[in-house]
Amino acid sequence: MQRYFRLVLFAVVLLVVLAIPVAAVLARTYFLAPTAQPVKAQPIQFPHQVHAQAMGLDCTFCHRGATTSAQATIPALEFCMNCHKVIPWQGRPELEKLVQAFESGQPVQWTKVHQLPDHVHFVHAVHLNFGFQCADCHGDVAAMGKPGVKQVRDLRMGDCLTCHQQNNARTDCSVCHY
Amino acid sequence: MPRWGMVIDLDRCIGCGACVVACQAENNVPINTEDVYHQRRAIEWIRLERYWDGEYPDIKARYIPVPCMHCQNAPCEPVCPVYATYHTSEGINMQVYNRCIGTRYCSVNCQWHVRFFNFWEPKWPDSLKNQLNPNVTVRSRGVMEKCTFCIQRIVKAEHQAKLEGRDLRADEFTTACAQACPTDAIVFGDLDNPNSRVAQLVNSAVNERGYRLLEDLGTEPSVYYLKKVDLEAPVEEHSSHQG
Repeated sequence: MQRYFRLVLFAVVLLVVLAIPVAAVLARTYFLAPTAQPVKAQPIQFPHQVHAQAMGLDCTFCHRGATTSAQATIPALEFCMNCHKVIPWQGRPELEKLVQAFESGQPVQWTKVHQLPDHVHFVHAVHLNFGFQCADCHGDVAAMGKPGVKQVRDLRMGDCLTCHQQNNARTDCSVCHY
Repeated sequence: MPRWGMVIDLDRCIGCGACVVACQAENNVPINTEDVYHQRRAIEWIRLERYWDGEYPDIKARYIPVPCMHCQNAPCEPVCPVYATYHTSEGINMQVYNRCIGTRYCSVNCQWHVRFFNFWEPKWPDSLKNQLNPNVTVRSRGVMEKCTFCIQRIVKAEHQAKLEGRDLRADEFTTACAQACPTDAIVFGDLDNPNSRVAQLVNSAVNERGYRLLEDLGTEPSVYYLKKVDLEAPVEEHSSHQG
């Protein structure tokens, strides 16, 4: 009995010690502020820097839904190909991925960076119409280069409410939750 | 600020159930199976009540579609311990799903039985996954849900009006049940806008044959019903009440 007790005790201690790093990783993803999350990997490393900064394209040139609807929308591959069919892509791995996806007809599964819960309904159009700039929430995306877009603003409910109160917007629950 | 309301004309209602189906599709209401009905746990934000009038063969079917009454003095609201149900400034009795902790007090206190509890995680067959409405939250297990007067449509219309820099027009949009009704029995709109159909009905037809379900409870429902016009029905004596 004594021997078994020591064995069980050892196993429990081992389990706890092993569980600590696992718990730490889980805690990091669950409890850290969204802005502290590491940059999410994307299937294609799309350089906003090239498009929005070097070429000076407006955000809404590609994210066309932003001014008219709830979703800012990510353009279809056909839209990318309007330009990229005349831009040499051979030997450039990220562009090859784009052309390959276009030719195979498989949409690119982008990873969502600014992830709101399902019970929150944010409408881009009214916020832009009020006079906000994309950068007010999304930061200087144009300067974000290869590793990808990072969330720079908290965008949790406290953040939304503070801004709504400062701008005399409605703070009814049903403005966002329905 | 609008005040949303509804008029349901029972003289027009044929009991087809299109409103029920439309509501289920619009609002991501889970599919009710037979055993769910037997357990009395079916979720129908608007339901069709059927009554039989008379004895066979002189029998008539009577139908009453019952959505949430959106009472202005709602009995469900003060009993919620976490303020998950509240009244919006536009007269809608709202349920905030992410606040709800599922005590079900509100459902006990509702006389119309139009609040529903999610006893299970809602499931849809794969073929129906793509028909879910992205503008409506899918309620998870353990929260109450109820008719919202299709608030996603209200919000959308209000945003559209704001983008175009104008006020909401009368009858610019309607709820799913009213839209699906083949006989136009359900009319939804702004009670405060004199140009809306619902306000005109409240000012005319409701005076003649209007009533509200369980009106004497004093909860001020926002849903008005118009009585069935039955020429064969025995004439009621009205004079005895007015002394």
